[in-house]
Amino acid sequence: MIQPRPRGRTLAAVLGLAALATACAPTPDVVLYCALDEVHAAPIVRAFEESTGLVVGAEYDIEAHKTVGLVRRIREEHARPRCDVFWNNEIAHTVSLADEGLLASYDSPSAADIPEEFRDPQRRWTGFAARARVLIVNTDITDPAEISGMWDLVDPRWSGRCGMARPLTGTTLTHATALFSVLGEERALEYLTRAKQGGVHLTSGNATLMRLVSEGEFAWGWTDTDDFNVALDRGAPVAAVFPDAGPDGLGTLLIPNTVCVLAAAPHPDAARRLVDHILSAEVEATLARSRSAQIPLHGSLSDLDHPLPLERMKVMAVDYARVGAEIVERHAQLKEMFLD
Amino acid sequence: MSRPLVIAAAAIFALVCLAPVAVMAARVGVGDFEGLLAGRTLDLLGRTVRLGLGAAAVAVVLGFPYGFLVARTDMPLAGVLRPLGLVPFLLPPLFLAITWTAVSDVRGATASVWVLGANTFPLVALFTARAFERIDARREEAALLVGGLGAALRMELPLVLPGAACGACLAFVFAVNDFAVPDYVSSVGPKFNVYADEVFASWQGDGEAGRAVATALPLVLLTLALLLPALALRRRGALATVDGDFRTPAPLALGRLRWPALVFCGLVLVLCAGLPLTRLAWEAGGGTRGWSVDGFRSALSRTLDLERTFLANSLVTSAVAASLCAPLALVLGHALERSRRGRRLEVLAVLPIAVPAILFGIGNIALWNRDVAFMAAIYDGRAMIVLLFIGRFLVFPLLITSGAVASLDPRLEEAAELAGARPATRLARIVAPGVRPSLVGGWTLVFVLAMRELDAAILVPAANGTVIFKAFNRIHFARDDAVAALCLLIVFFIVLPGLLWSLFGRRRLEVIA
Repeated sequence: MIQPRPRGRTLAAVLGLAALATACAPTPDVVLYCALDEVHAAPIVRAFEESTGLVVGAEYDIEAHKTVGLVRRIREEHARPRCDVFWNNEIAHTVSLADEGLLASYDSPSAADIPEEFRDPQRRWTGFAARARVLIVNTDITDPAEISGMWDLVDPRWSGRCGMARPLTGTTLTHATALFSVLGEERALEYLTRAKQGGVHLTSGNATLMRLVSEGEFAWGWTDTDDFNVALDRGAPVAAVFPDAGPDGLGTLLIPNTVCVLAAAPHPDAARRLVDHILSAEVEATLARSRSAQIPLHGSLSDLDHPLPLERMKVMAVDYARVGAEIVERHAQLKEMFLD
Repeated sequence: MSRPLVIAAAAIFALVCLAPVAVMAARVGVGDFEGLLAGRTLDLLGRTVRLGLGAAAVAVVLGFPYGFLVARTDMPLAGVLRPLGLVPFLLPPLFLAITWTAVSDVRGATASVWVLGANTFPLVALFTARAFERIDARREEAALLVGGLGAALRMELPLVLPGAACGACLAFVFAVNDFAVPDYVSSVGPKFNVYADEVFASWQGDGEAGRAVATALPLVLLTLALLLPALALRRRGALATVDGDFRTPAPLALGRLRWPALVFCGLVLVLCAGLPLTRLAWEAGGGTRGWSVDGFRSALSRTLDLERTFLANSLVTSAVAASLCAPLALVLGHALERSRRGRRLEVLAVLPIAVPAILFGIGNIALWNRDVAFMAAIYDGRAMIVLLFIGRFLVFPLLITSGAVASLDPRLEEAAELAGARPATRLARIVAPGVRPSLVGGWTLVFVLAMRELDAAILVPAANGTVIFKAFNRIHFARDDAVAALCLLIVFFIVLPGLLWSLFGRRRLEVIA
């Protein structure tokens, strides 16, 4: 008769315990989904935890997903929401979530001196700490004064010397969508078609473009101010051109971070406290001084020393609600244009 | 077979492996298939097929001779080169892409084909090696007597081709489902867009989940179209029946070709693993700023310090997933092989790896994120990622184990039954020891795949704490010594279990059977 040996049971017990240990996780007081780079957001979250004693379950997006990973997860989790606060590093997808009824209204006292154009009229989201879409120029190759605006990109004289990220994700997609709303269908299509078919180098993202301009591979191209500031910080020979600043020009597109409370947030009180913290002038000043040099929107920070202050640019007048409403449709259209 | 055990294991398999796929399939409506066969879709599919064929061709060109040389010849260092040949497959393909774009100007389709072929050639080498080992010595000796080495190889070729073709099919499947490599190697210039990228992009839209699932269908069918022949070929090749009086063939004498053969195998290893690892080590030690041992040590220790928690998370979740897969694979693999309809069920078994990773991940969210206390607890904790790893990768140990069971003489189990052993005891005392190298091989494979898994896990909350998640973010933001050190640490921990078994295990690790 073969007798069972106890070794199998011991192994099963060990496996069971290991599985149990794996299943256990600390329960947070508030859950934050954060699309801003962890390196910038984590100290802000830690400061909130230290000042309130609350535990934040912060979950960050992976850069390759360009925010959309967390947006998709919020949509997929709508049956049992676990996210309380969504801190997006752009605005269009936040507007989409608001339109889908997934966000709650909250008028944070911390946002009182943020201009109205960066706040949802129904207070479902609030913009702060913006990035701007600028033209990064390698000053060893090109005099920045030679470039005045967005149409220079598709001018034949710059053919093969300038670039932009493919407008399929992140801020470049938001930018392209905004162009449709401010230029109109025909002109925006003309611009993007000429960019695609002309001598404009297309890259996978703004950071890649910034690196290529910094290294002198391209003379100039579109990027975001946070990427530009990284190049500046590294000592690269670069300058930023705020495009189309003339009286008839479109101006510079600002893309603020946005923060919102989820409609079915499991911890609404703690969520509002976290939003108040994120929207505080102190946090915006911290982000402004960080390597990403986010542009502060609080009126009280207008005199803050910043490498790219709002006063230097003509801000593009854009309806963010419309951009958010159109971004899905534009993404499909641009995918057809820019992906063979 | 113990019926309660098999039912319990099958229920777990259905819940963890099949239910996420079923949940996603249920979202599709008839209207979602409109436009699926548009010209652009077909172009993308055509391009993806060409990528898969190209990668499979590279894998065969490198893997077929490699497998033959290390398994069947008197080439110097064959015993060392055989396990080392697995290393390229253990490296996350993106690590290879990073290196090759750093040392070469080749981009786009060519770079994708090379990187994915170099990453998957060990699959062809493994199956080829196993098929060559199963040729009876007497047949080979007869061919050698009649016409020398050439005649022996001509006789053996038809016998080993199914095994090699099985490896090539798997290389194709891995290649067509990867979008990170094509994306990375075309980060500047024309985008090399492939179908897997299209599937991913479709999830960036709004709530049209049905259409997004439907978009994945052609890729699923393409994958199944290659996986199913791979399963059949696996049986004809690597699993070809070995007679009871089988005689192991002696190593073939290469004569003057011994050293060129060694150079070939060494070169393949250098190109596919040595160069990427050396490049990472160079970057970790200072790179263009000047390499130094101190710099290398410092980068490793700083990174280990900084990423310790994430490394531990990945190690624990991967090890637990692999350990839970082992008993499930034993029970199900045994049932699959010994039951009459088992082979037909292999189609169901491969379904979780036939669907795009992101679809499987979202299926898990839809399945587990519910207002039921125990499900919510699982979804919110690290158990979710363990379940996801099991669901996605159980098929590998299952097939490996069923293959090993096929090689076991059923009369042993029958004798134990006559001696009064119950089914569970027979499984634990007769079957398990007989297939132990395959169980350990399956464990290792799940561990490796779980350690490098990103695409399916990306949307699951617990993935936030895995080291591969951190590595991919770091790679995007910088290519400095810390990033290179982190990549090296990940590779080290991925390779570690196989390395320990090779050093201390008394039997060879079986990752195919």
